Parts: sequence; C-alpha cells; structure tokens
Amino acid sequence: MSTDLKQKKFRSQSRTQKVSLSATYIILIILAIIWIIPLLWIALSAFRCEFQPDGTFIGRVTSNFFPKAVGLKNFKDLFTATYYGVPNAFPKWIFNTLIIAIFDCIISTFLVLSVAYCMSKLRFKMRKPFMNLSMVIGLFPSFMSMIAIYFLLKSIGLTGNPAHPEYSVIGLILAYSAGAGMGFQVAKGFFDVIPNALVESAKLDGCTNYQIFRRIILPLSKPIIIYQALMSFTGPWMDFIFAKVIIGADNPAHWTVSVGLYSLLFGTHPDTNLFTQFAAGCVIVAIPIVTLFMFLQQYYVEGVTAGAVKG
Amino acid sequence: MSTKALIAPSINSGPSFGERLGKRFSNFGKRFADGSPGTKLSHLIFGAGNFYHKQYIKGFLFLLIQAAILAIMIFCPSINNTPYGWKALKNLTLKYTSMGGEFDPVTGQFTTGSDCKLMVLFGFVTIALIIVYFFVWNLSINSSYKADMDRKVGKKPATFKEDMAELLDSRFHILMLTPTCIAAAIFTILPTVFMIALAFTSYNSYDMNVLGTNLFEWNGFRNFVAVFTGEGSLGFEVHNRFLPVLGWTFVWAIFATLTCYFGGIILALLINKKGLNGKKIFRTLFILTIAVPQFISLLAVRNILGEYGPVNSMLMNAGWIQSPIGFLGLHPTDSEKLAKVMVIIINMWVGIPYTMLMTSGILMNIPADLYEAARVDGASTVKMFFKITLPYVIFVTTPYLISSFIGNINSFNSIFLLTGGGPTYTGYQAGGTDLLVTWLFKVTIDQGMYNTGAVIGIFTFIITATITLVTYRRSKAYNEEDTFQ
Amino acid sequence: MKKLTAILLVLAMTLVLFTGCGGDSGKKEEKDDGIIRVWVGEESAEFYQKVCDEYLAANSDFGYKIEVKGMDTGSVAGVITNDPTAAADIYTVAHDNIGKLASTQCAKPITDEALIAQVTADNPEAFKNVIYSSLNDKEYLYGVPYISQALFLYYNKALVTEEQAKSFEGLREAARAAGCKAITVTGDDGFNMSFAILARKVDDKSTTVKIYEGADKVLGGAKGTSNCQGDDTVAIYRWLQAFAADPNGFKWASSDGWDADLDKDNKGVLAVIGGSWHFKTASAALGESNLGITLIPTFTLTPASVEGLTGVAAGDTFRGGTFADCKCFMINANSASSKYAKEQELIKHLSSKEIQDRSFLECSNVPAYSGSVSYIEQCFAEGKITESQHKMAAAQLGMAEWGIPQPFITSTLNTYYYSKQAPSVLRAIVDKTAYPTTGTQIIEETETLEGVRKALYLVEYIWMHGLTPTEFPATLPAGA
Repeated sequence: MSTDLKQKKFRSQSRTQKVSLSATYIILIILAIIWIIPLLWIALSAFRCEFQPDGTFIGRVTSNFFPKAVGLKNFKDLFTATYYGVPNAFPKWIFNTLIIAIFDCIISTFLVLSVAYCMSKLRFKMRKPFMNLSMVIGLFPSFMSMIAIYFLLKSIGLTGNPAHPEYSVIGLILAYSAGAGMGFQVAKGFFDVIPNALVESAKLDGCTNYQIFRRIILPLSKPIIIYQALMSFTGPWMDFIFAKVIIGADNPAHWTVSVGLYSLLFGTHPDTNLFTQFAAGCVIVAIPIVTLFMFLQQYYVEGVTAGAVKG
Repeated sequence: MSTKALIAPSINSGPSFGERLGKRFSNFGKRFADGSPGTKLSHLIFGAGNFYHKQYIKGFLFLLIQAAILAIMIFCPSINNTPYGWKALKNLTLKYTSMGGEFDPVTGQFTTGSDCKLMVLFGFVTIALIIVYFFVWNLSINSSYKADMDRKVGKKPATFKEDMAELLDSRFHILMLTPTCIAAAIFTILPTVFMIALAFTSYNSYDMNVLGTNLFEWNGFRNFVAVFTGEGSLGFEVHNRFLPVLGWTFVWAIFATLTCYFGGIILALLINKKGLNGKKIFRTLFILTIAVPQFISLLAVRNILGEYGPVNSMLMNAGWIQSPIGFLGLHPTDSEKLAKVMVIIINMWVGIPYTMLMTSGILMNIPADLYEAARVDGASTVKMFFKITLPYVIFVTTPYLISSFIGNINSFNSIFLLTGGGPTYTGYQAGGTDLLVTWLFKVTIDQGMYNTGAVIGIFTFIITATITLVTYRRSKAYNEEDTFQ
Repeated sequence: MKKLTAILLVLAMTLVLFTGCGGDSGKKEEKDDGIIRVWVGEESAEFYQKVCDEYLAANSDFGYKIEVKGMDTGSVAGVITNDPTAAADIYTVAHDNIGKLASTQCAKPITDEALIAQVTADNPEAFKNVIYSSLNDKEYLYGVPYISQALFLYYNKALVTEEQAKSFEGLREAARAAGCKAITVTGDDGFNMSFAILARKVDDKSTTVKIYEGADKVLGGAKGTSNCQGDDTVAIYRWLQAFAADPNGFKWASSDGWDADLDKDNKGVLAVIGGSWHFKTASAALGESNLGITLIPTFTLTPASVEGLTGVAAGDTFRGGTFADCKCFMINANSASSKYAKEQELIKHLSSKEIQDRSFLECSNVPAYSGSVSYIEQCFAEGKITESQHKMAAAQLGMAEWGIPQPFITSTLNTYYYSKQAPSVLRAIVDKTAYPTTGTQIIEETETLEGVRKALYLVEYIWMHGLTPTEFPATLPAGA
C-alpha cells in the first residue's frame, strides 16, 4: 500500500519535475549560447577573409557577425608579418612567452608551496607577523611598483640593456616569480586540511621537517601543485601591462605575445586594419590555455573551492 | 582602559612594548659582557667569533657579507651616473646645485646631470643595505654567543654540516621562507616604499621643474594639502575626481560581487539539478570563458558593442535606432549610466563561471539527508533553497565574499579593457567608469604624474586596508584559522 | 688568541680592499662596443640599413659597425626620457621633441663644422628656427632634419568630387547626399586639431595667432608672445562649433578608430585630416583607388560666426592650417664620446640631399631640404612614383606653406602647449560644453561670444603660464 502511494507521488512529481527540467535545459542552453558569443566572434573573425572590390583586404572590425568569406590568410600573415620592425615577430613572441611561462611556473610553484607549507604546518615566532605583513603588502596596487622594479632590474643589467636585450626576459621571469610567494593563501588552505596527526606521527618516527615535507606532504598535494602550476603557467600569457614596462617599449623582439597583440590594436601607432590578424593571434594564444584548463579542470575546481572555503 | 591593555589586548597580556625594548638592551649588554673575546670582536668584524670557535665556513660567509656591503657603501658604484652607497644617502635629500651636463664640444664628452628618481630609489636601496648590515651584524654576534654558551656547557660548537642539517629540520621554515622574503623585499617592499616616497615629491610631468623633467624635489605634505585645496595639477585632478571615483568604485565592487555571487549560485543550482544530463558539458562550456584570457574576451565584447560593430548595425538595420548607441561610454557624449550598467552586466559574464565552479563544489558537499528530511516534512523547493542551501553556502563562503569584494575594488581588466575608464571628462584623467586602480594606472603610466599616482595609491591602500582589517579581525575564519582541525 | 685576532683583522681588511676595487669611483664609464646604433622610422629601416652598408663599403676606414633599427618615432621621446641609456646612439624624433630632449640632457649638441654647414645650406628658414636648443645657456644645434611632414586631407573619391574636396562646405554637400558626416580628425590633441588654430586667410595667408613667437632658445628664457584671442580665431571656433553641430558636418573620431568612420561601408565620414603615416590604414579603409589626397580644405565664415566681431566679416575665407614638421636625427647623450666624430659623419651622409631623394623614391619620405618640390615633380614626370605618392608629397609640401613648424624650443613650452589641458579647453569650445565638464567649473559655458572669448583667454593663459588663472580679466580680449 505504501509503495503504491510512493509510486503515485513519484509519477505526479515527475511531471512537474519534467517541466522544470526542460525549463532548466532551455535556460541553460540560452545561457551557454550567450556565454559563447564573444569567443565565437573572435574565432570567426580570425578566419575572415573579405576583400574590397578592388582587392584590398578588409582587416578591420566589420558590422557583420558572420564572415562573408573565410580563409587562412590571417594566420599566414600573422606568422610571417613584420611588426614594429621585427620580422617574424609573432613566433618570436610565442617563444618568449613560452620560456617565461615555463620558468615562472617552476619557480612560482616551488615558492608558493614552500611558503604555504611553512605557514600551515610549522610554528615559529614570526609566523603571524609574516602573514599579516603579506596581507598588508598585497593591498597595494601593483602598478605602483612597476617603474621601480624596472630600474632595479636595470641596475643589475637584466633589462633595458642595449647590448643584450634578451636579458629582459630573465628580468621579467624574476619579477613574476618574486611576487608569487605572497599569494600563498589558497595553497595554505589546502595544506590546512591535511590532518596534523599525519605530521605528528611522522615526527614521532624521527623524520626531519624536510623529510616530512618531501615524503608525506608533497605526494598528497598533487591537486594543489597542479593548480598552482596551471595558474603560474597561464599568467604570463595574459598579462599585457607589466611585461611591456619591464621588457620595454623599445624592445619589440622580446615582448610577450599578449603585449604584442595588445600593441597591434592599442599601441602608439595602432593599425585597426590588423584586427583579423589580432583575432588569429588570439585564437592561437587561447588554444593551449583552454586545452590546459580543460584537461586540468578538476584540479582547478579543487583549487578554487579550497581558496573559497578558507578565504 | 589601561595602556597595557591597549598595547597588548590579548587575554594573556605578555610584557609591554617598553618592557620588551628594555629587555633587548639589557640582553645586548649581557651578550657583550659575557661573551668570549671572539664574540666581543664580532661586534667589529663579522664572523670573528666563528673563526674563534673554528667555524671557518660560517665565519667566512659573515665576513664576505660585511665586506661586500662595506665596499658598496664606501666605494659607491654607479648605475646611470647615479651612485649607491653613502653618496646615495646624501642624494636622498634631493638637493642638487646644478643640472650637471658638462659638454666638451671637442671630444664630445658629455656628463649628464642628476636623475632624481634614481637618486631616491638608490637611496632607499642603500638604507635597505644598512638594515641588512645591522641584521647580519646581530646574527653573527648571536651565532658566536651561542657557540660560547655551547662551550660553557661542554657541547662542541656546531659544525657547518650540523648547521645545514638543522636547516632541514628545526629551522626548516628559515630555508623555505628565505627565498620568498628576499624576493619580496627586493621586488615588492622596496618598490612600494619608493612609490610611497614619490607621493611626497613634486615628480610630475606636468609640474616639472622648468629645467627639465629629471629634477624634482621633496614636497613634504604639500601634495596632500593640495588634494583638499585643489591647487596645482595634482590637486585639480584629485580634489575634483577622488570622491566620484571612490563612490563608483564602491558601487561597482558591491554590485559586481553580489551579481556574480548570486548568479553563480543560481547557475550552479541549475547545472546541479537532479536528473540533468550533460553536467560536465555545461560546466566545461562555462570554464571555457574563464580559460580564454581576459584581454581577448573583453576586447571582443568591446568591439561587438562598438559604434560600427554587429550589435549597432543590427539595431540600425532593424530600424530600432537612428544612430549608433555608445554602449560603453567610449565617447565623452555617451551616457555614463549606460556604460556603468553595461560594465556590471559584462562583468557578470566574466565572473559567474568562476563562482559557479566554486559553489558547485560546495553544493555537492551539502549533506543530502538535510534535503531528505525537509522533503519528508513537506517543504517546497523554493523553501528548501532559502532555508537550507542559501544559509549553508553563505556561511561557508563568507571569507570568499569579502576577498572577492576587495578583489573587485582592484579589478583592472574589466573596466580598462571595456571602457578604458568610461566617458572622459574634458580636463581630467579620471573618466566616468574609472576605478581607483585604473585611474592610478592612467595617471602614472600614461601621463607620468607619478606623485599623483602615488597619492591615489596611498588612499586606495588606506581604504582597502581598513576594510580588510575590520572584516577579517571580526570573521571567525581568521581567529580560528589555527584551529581548523 | 691574540695572534688569531691579528690574522683575522688583516684578513678582513684585505677582503674589503679586494671587493672595493671592483666598483668605480663614480666616474661615468663609457662603453664603446664598436657599433653605432641608429633608430629610424619603421618603414625606412631596411632602406637606411642598405644605405649604411653601402657607406661602410665605400669607406672601409669608418671603424664602426652600423645597426639600423625601425622604431616608432612617436614613442622615442618617451622611451628616452624614461631611460636614456636604453636608446640608440642616433635616433629620429619629430623636431618638437628637441626642446624636451635637450633640456633633459638626453641629446648631445652637434658641433661638427661640416655638418652644421650642410644643415644651414640645405634647410628652409622655418626648419632652421626650430632645431636649435641650449645647454648651460649656450645655444647649440641639436637636430638634423631629413624628412618633412605635414597634415593634409584624405577623402573618399567615390562620393566626393575634386571640386567638393576643396572646401568644407563642399564636403558637407557631399555628406548631405551620402547621408553621413563630412569630416573627422585622427585625434583631439593639440597637434591633430591644429587646423582650426592655425587657419589662415586665403587671400593673404594672414592670421593673428602667434605661438611662442620670438621665444628664447635658452631654458628658462622668455617665452615670446602667444595670441589666440584674435577676432579671427574667435570667429573660426564659432564656425567650427556650428559645423560640428551640423548633422553633415564635423565629428570626432569614433572609438572604433577613424578608419572605421572613413570606411565606405560604414558611412561615418567622407574625409579625414591625417598624415603620411595614415596612408596604409586610409587606403585599407577606402581601397586605394578610392583614396583622394589634397590640401586641407577652405571654409567661409558665416554671418552667425562673425556676430559681434569687428576684425573679420562674413564671407572671409580661410584655409585650415597644420604644423609643418621635420623629423630630425639627434645624438644620444649617453653615447660614448669616442663615437662622437663618426656619428656626426654618418648623420651628415644620411641627411644629405642625395639620400633624402633616394629615401623619397623608396620609402615615400618627403625630403626636408628646401626646393625639394622640383625633384618630386621631376620624379612624377618621369613616372618613377605612383600618383598617390606624388599627391601625398605635393599635399605635404603645399601645406608647408600654410603652416608653421611647431615652435617648441624648450621642454616647458612643449608641455604647456600639449599638456596642461589647453587642448581639452579647445575641445570644450567645439563641443559647446563647460570646462571642465564636472567638478569645479572654470568656464561655465562656451555657447555665447563671451564664453568663447573667456575660453580662448584661458587657452592663451595656459600656453604662457602652464596653469589656470585665479581670476579672469573683466574685459576680453586681454593679454595673458
């Protein structure tokens, strides 16, 4: 008797449920389309290959959403073009950014994990003051320090060096990694969750702190390591202000790809006719980053959640 | 309230500041008096005490540091014709008698004059070096004293190997934190101090010294007074635009945080709905927008909404409007209110996937039996949302809300890439949709009004610091972060 | 123990001395790495590298390698004043930067007799007036001109006839037929909006406008006289106000770029005032066959614009003006002194008439030496250059007669003219708004004659003093 009642309830529930479910589907699909539109437009613009009647190429923003003609011309031009007097500028930019991203990733992850572990699992006199200080320093807008960092790096010869302009890349790597250690909150939140009992029992067995860190904590930290690595790898691809100041406006051969693309449209002599090439560049930049995010989705979510919960 | 309680408000009030300082000095004297001759000599030559105790490597390292710093201080190496060392301290007063600039037409020899910004920067570097010097001085004396104490109780003073081993264990935190501390000191603290100092100078490409833009001088607090009186180009800009920009920054931060937050929750609920297929697909689609760099996606939106972009053309072709609408306030005549609304809406596009991801994780953690119990009691979906889901999520993510609010105060990309600061007001740098950060950027990097930028930066800092201190001090998460376990 | 201490002391002192030897005593060290680096405009980099290679081949005892790099000349000044040692040994800037670079000691004076003689012989008076600056109260030559530039008009040949392109009214007629606005500018700054301030009467090329006339070339010296309150200037701005309000008249460039306005599909405007550096973008917007090039058009004052003014009358025709500039070579002050003689020798070669001529043929750089128009006509007659190139060169050289070089001899004057908000005030006049548009207002309105006069007084005051006056004189015009 009770099962009949339950089934009846289920079926009537299922009708209202069905309606709300389809409504949900519709809403979600609409939202998904809205969310994709800007990205779709950039991707479409990258393949756009329209010409004026007399043969001049239309590279600007046009009023039509869908291209009237498609082709791979933009990508070809992008890779062979000479921007700012630098032949084959775009591949050079990608190469620079790749180097910066790899080194930044390695150094930053190492620094952040070190600091986060210390703050989370170790107890020492300067712990609370350090945390307070890092929070306070983090409140200053970062633009205030850009010029000073440029001159500091320059005095070591790591940027603005006419004889060795490539050293500015090293300077930029230092500048990016140096700030990373202060952003340890998310990683610390993650380490906080690891039970202290684990650490204590290891200590009882006579392990040094270093051994605990290496043998016990690190293997458990795969999610947060990947999260940090992902964040610090993708960072240099997206930053277009800091990199320009450090590498220098007179050094386009060593710009990063975001500085270069941004300067195409918004530099000192912007050429709005390069918009389709810009879009092609954006597609090329976006592909590796998006792929990384897709593959490492779960770690990213874990990192985000850890950061949110612990603040 | 007694002074003691004011200074050390914790329950177990330790010694007061004065008491601690006094103890330091007496310790100092004791160290000198009780120490071996090696320790006494360490006050003059670093590492002497270590040599005395046959800790050669350690002693040599201390000596090296002392030699290096002293060399820099005495011999003043120069970069760009501006010196480090004791000369830099003299330069810090920014009293220059001439531009320099001696030119010999025959040989072409040109000695350039003073560069004030480098003088300030190197002056601070020198001060930092002095601080490091005294820190290492103290360290070397302490290490010698420790060896003395060890000797006294019959222990052999630690060898270098043993010191290194200690670094991996009881002093592991020193090993882990030192690289970050050094990096932070050079790349974060020093530049920030430098910029704060610039707020007290006249370094402004508009107010430049008539002799050239490389020279400026200390202004004391005149810059801050100018903010109130509105004099000078710094005063004119900050006095007239600070309150409107500040007001908009708060409005923006509140709306951006709340819209993204609730939007994310709603979206997460929609995706997490029982019986919905393709959760992963939807989630992946929304992650796509996080993955694409902001300068790409926001510039795309800016172009779509541009004067000759698809949206305006569609509207004009359909006959709904006669002339293009300036959605993003890119023209001074465009509507500022419209620009503000559009920016908040587009920011939702940017921020909701992020909060959606976060709340998804949290929603999945809500114990299902809570819902079961509620359903048995006959609660409707809406009621369950308001009484179970919402309070739980809000409780868990309160710290996130606060940090997101502060993050939005400093959110640069959303405003800069979309509106470039909004409808410009003729005569000012700060536009209609400028936040404090974007204003700071425009003023400093674009216009070279460094002291104005520094003043704005300081004000921004004071505001965000106050908010942070007030909210964090109160929030349980901070007080109990130690005891999460 | 004592022995040990003594050893330690000696050790310490030796070490200090050792490390101390590394640093220098503060004397500026000069690095001569055997390369002279040159910055030219981006389009000309390949050409000038070729020229330098030929020169090295012909003069094997030059003793230096030469590297030519293309660098956006607009940003050179910014790069150098931020960090002088990062710049090339020889760089190219527009002449209005000479004052700033000289006074901030980023450039070396030129003292080579042969080079000075060549500069004096080759260049027109107008250029020779603005390439000198001072160091320690002595006047020196700083810049060597080698390219001349001026603004002119690009227009849409498909929708505007050659006759219509000669005047603003003609452009408006064409715009009315096409249903869009007539003309725009590439920026609202003091350079691109110069057509209004520098407009001259067509019959006698006269104007009451003076910008730092007779200013000292010495830093901190007299600023000369400036005037922008003449009746003709007031009338011109009132005319421009009406033209901007006209639905087929003047508009500011759209945020999508002035070329989006010019694009024939968008029907934003039919013409734009631009320079040779806009050629590629303009021809991409219109298609090269549709691109018309001519002098900046004339306009005729309407009765409404001269109401209440005595110095001008309705029907007076003016032609829009421009700054006729030159691009100059300058020597970096941080360049090693051992290179000095060779640098000047190289500059003498690169700025010689022959090289300027070749540069015109290969890179469309209009030569700066006086009398270059005959060479250009000859080239066109011989078919060595395309019609667009010929038109651009002719337009620029033609406009040079209708303009003045930017008279910025000291860095102060440069800043007072461009920055310090004077261009914003002029914009407020054209837009008929108050100035500033929010906050404490200095000019309440610019719709009436008094408002425009007050605003122009403010502009002149800013030019002369670099700040806004605390009070305005009761009767205008008044000396600022």
